[in-house]
Amino acid sequence: MALLDKYPATLTAKTAEHLLRRTMFGATRADIAALTGKSIDAALDTLLKDQTAPAPPIDPTTGQTWVNGTARTNNDGQYNNYMKAWWLGLMATQPLSITEKMTLFWHNHFVSSYSAVNDTRYMYKQHALLRRYALGNFKTLTREISTDPAMLRYLNGNRNTKASPQENFARELQELFTIGKGPEISAGNYTTYTEQDVRTAARVLTGWTDNPTTVTSTFNLNQHDTEDKQFSAAYQNTIIKKRTTASSPNSNVGLDDLNELLDMIFRQTATSEYICRKLYRFFVNFDVTPTIEKEVIVPLGKTLRDNNFEIKPVLRQLLGSTHFFDNNIIGCIIKTPLDLIIGMVRQMQITIPNSTTQTGFYYSYFDQLRSLAASLQQDVFELPNVAGWSVYYQEPLFYQIWINSATMPSRANLGNTLTNGWTLVNRATSATMRVTFDSLAFLQQFPNPEDPNKVIDNLTQNFFAIDLTSEQKDELLTKVLLPNLPPYEWTMEWNDYMKTPNDAQKKAMIKAKLDALIKYMMLIAEYQIT
Amino acid sequence: MKRRDFIRGATAVALPLSLGGYSARAMGLSPMLESLAELTALADRYLVLIQLAGGNDGINTVIPLDQMSAYNSLRSNIALPENRVLKLTNATGLHPSMVGMKSLYDAGNLAIVQGVTYPTANFSHFRSTDIWMSGSDYNEYLSTGWAGRYLDNQFPNYPADYPNASMPDPLAIQISSSSSLTLKGVNAPMGVSLQDPEAFNRLVSGTSVNGFTTTPDTAAGKQITYIRQVQAQSETYAKVIQKANASAKNLATYTAAGVNPLADQLAIVARLIAGGLKTRVYMVTLGGFDTHAQQVVATDRTLGTHAVLLARLSEAMTSFQQDLKLLKMDDKVLGMTFSEFGRRVGSNASSGTDHGSAAPVFVFGKSVKGGIIGTNPSLTSLDNGNLRMQYDFRQIYASILKQWFGTNNSEYSAVLGKDFTQLPLIQGTTSIAEEQQTFATNGIRVQNYPNPVSTNTTFEYTLPYTSRVRLIVVDAQGHAVTTMEEQQAAGTYNINFNAASLASGAYTYRLETERGWASGKMIVAR
Repeated sequence: MALLDKYPATLTAKTAEHLLRRTMFGATRADIAALTGKSIDAALDTLLKDQTAPAPPIDPTTGQTWVNGTARTNNDGQYNNYMKAWWLGLMATQPLSITEKMTLFWHNHFVSSYSAVNDTRYMYKQHALLRRYALGNFKTLTREISTDPAMLRYLNGNRNTKASPQENFARELQELFTIGKGPEISAGNYTTYTEQDVRTAARVLTGWTDNPTTVTSTFNLNQHDTEDKQFSAAYQNTIIKKRTTASSPNSNVGLDDLNELLDMIFRQTATSEYICRKLYRFFVNFDVTPTIEKEVIVPLGKTLRDNNFEIKPVLRQLLGSTHFFDNNIIGCIIKTPLDLIIGMVRQMQITIPNSTTQTGFYYSYFDQLRSLAASLQQDVFELPNVAGWSVYYQEPLFYQIWINSATMPSRANLGNTLTNGWTLVNRATSATMRVTFDSLAFLQQFPNPEDPNKVIDNLTQNFFAIDLTSEQKDELLTKVLLPNLPPYEWTMEWNDYMKTPNDAQKKAMIKAKLDALIKYMMLIAEYQIT
Repeated sequence: MKRRDFIRGATAVALPLSLGGYSARAMGLSPMLESLAELTALADRYLVLIQLAGGNDGINTVIPLDQMSAYNSLRSNIALPENRVLKLTNATGLHPSMVGMKSLYDAGNLAIVQGVTYPTANFSHFRSTDIWMSGSDYNEYLSTGWAGRYLDNQFPNYPADYPNASMPDPLAIQISSSSSLTLKGVNAPMGVSLQDPEAFNRLVSGTSVNGFTTTPDTAAGKQITYIRQVQAQSETYAKVIQKANASAKNLATYTAAGVNPLADQLAIVARLIAGGLKTRVYMVTLGGFDTHAQQVVATDRTLGTHAVLLARLSEAMTSFQQDLKLLKMDDKVLGMTFSEFGRRVGSNASSGTDHGSAAPVFVFGKSVKGGIIGTNPSLTSLDNGNLRMQYDFRQIYASILKQWFGTNNSEYSAVLGKDFTQLPLIQGTTSIAEEQQTFATNGIRVQNYPNPVSTNTTFEYTLPYTSRVRLIVVDAQGHAVTTMEEQQAAGTYNINFNAASLASGAYTYRLETERGWASGKMIVAR
């Protein structure tokens, strides 16, 4: 049986949860229920459906968006936080769809950062582009991103001129965005392209600038290198020929040259395989073994080419494969900070302020989650460098890079944050609001909350990607939930509480036990994998 | 800690062989014990690695004053005004914002190694960073870091057997929220990462997990094991780190907290060292060196992004060195900077520079043999627009491992695998290093005999191809004292040289050809 054969079984709660954890942020009980009992095709029909674009971010103090303005304002630093909160809000409140995760994938692929671009209007525009093509055509997106104003700024494409070519974008376009770098087989020859190809591609890309009033890009023929550009044997010695006025009106020379460059790059099988490898590491596993390369990456690359670089067929084949549901794949990814934090909010159904009637609190809520994710080294719109988060490429640790002695204690403390609650501030009015987690109400959604064994069974299944052993469950029951107490103690206390749910003292007693269990479950290593 | 660490560290002192098998206690009080105690103190040697992330522009950091016309024409929009460069010698100067490092140089506490890279430079940030951190060849892929392998070798069976009585502290500490490949060992990262010792301890307390030791035999199980390992390490070390941090105070003035991230990091390192941690290796990072655009301000090129970065480096390094001196720890600490590459010699139209190859490395500390190693890179003899290599970065690692940490041959091999010629970086190791110091590319060989020289010496060189050949002899200040040129076919040739007019001292010579070069060291002694 080949690894990419279609997963034959009907989705169970467990396999549906795996699919949801990987394609969204955490899994809600409602989403799990929606996919349970469906075929993989039906589930992917839902997840891969195109979504309508959301309304842009707003300034919660005015209720207005600023992203269509004609100039950067002094408020831009604050706007940047609003924009980040806006996106985290979309991640937490999204419908059953892969769109947010794919937008994040492209955000980590075609990287820019606010601190380099320094204008939220640019960053928003790029984000909207990535979102528009999240499930679209990879080649078209590459063309669009090549003249995207934020990208022109981020990789200095806007300073790339005939007189003095600037290689930054030309290099990363090949090394990181499309064909990828192979082994250096001789000086300056990276198998898939050469140093000379970097310099030549830079010449092809000369003449583009960004316009800060309209936040668009323009092409200036006077700054464009119009001579023949010859590439190396890695690109079959392709020549992008000098254009004549008859063959290409002046205004089109830049785009025509760019298209010819991308045609050349996308003709190489290495390009389609490179992006499939990245998708694999993002959604499935870091470990691209020779078997995975041969049986997963190469066929996916062919699927991408056969479908003219449309991304959906590749996602469908990968996420619908028997390999994706292999027991060794379940739980092999270490949660990203966003998986961890947005996943917690969704899984625990922590109340989110209403985005329309409580806009100030809504933005404060996601601003705080954003800040927490940033402290764990994942800050959207602020990637560490042009290669994106190193967990997706840095051998040998990969996902383990998220975990170190600086981040692990904060991750382990997340349960404290959750059970203690936190305070939101409305920036416009300075009013405050507490976010609390009602663990008792949460537990009541599961059957048999009065049975301590069922409590452990239900919660561990809901919290963890993998099954705990019976010894581990026993430990949770006897050492964490009910230390030095017999199991019937829980049943008695629970029933007692249910009789008088407004008795504050009884409520506090049983809630303390449940909170201790939840905190502990979020502290153990098993909580960190997905 | 390995037993032999107690008896090494000062290579100059020969110990009787019989000492090897006995513990200090068994020997009782004797003059020998006193000298052993001294040596133990010497063995407490710490290394601080400063990563300049992004690729530092070497020739706007260490300026070749002897080639100002080439310099000005190749980088007309970013060239620093000659009269503002901080002169170290007539030939070489520092960027105007590196006032502190100039004073470290003047005090003999700063060594500058010129033209450092590796054969067949890679221009990718990521691959080149991996090469520097792992210590690999350009076409070799290693999954461990060079410092990680050193620590793995010195502290076998980490983390299982640690902490223990002889090594109660973390082996390495990185002031960061990430963990660098540099410190990755075979089984685990050899370092602890933290941003602030107090917050670290606060966060760790109350996150201890008991039980939960089993794991499924799957990829998920491997991740769980790793996470548990990091959790346990954090918990183990948080207390000792917090205690060391709390027990020492910075005595020098650093830039106000929050302004210069490197100064903030080094201030923590100084406290941890002074607080008594036996941690061998520290790692800190200053980012932002990828200056493709606007690296200078057009109206005053001594200002701008690069100037700010170098000022931060210089101020942080100077405060740190001063702090160590006041804390009386300066003879125990060696620092070095590294960056994944230098930048292109010719600037681009956006007042910036693209990725390049060779660049200078700074090594600093009280024990450093201060000065400039190597010559200014040639701005006219370029390799596809890039500076040529003078030294392999692993020569610096080799020098640190042997001269600073005192590794023996087998320990050294476990870290770097093959021999790299040492450079005279640490005081007292000059003669060993100078005897050995030669470097060559492309099959070119050059040597001189006799050496040391009193009056006459012969340079013998081997040329594998026809080429124009230039032999330059340079004094310790970097001045060329003589230059000889000839055209030769492939073969071995002699050049007789009369050194009578040269003052006693150390000289470097360099044989340049059209396709490569070689160099050596010569001592004139009368």
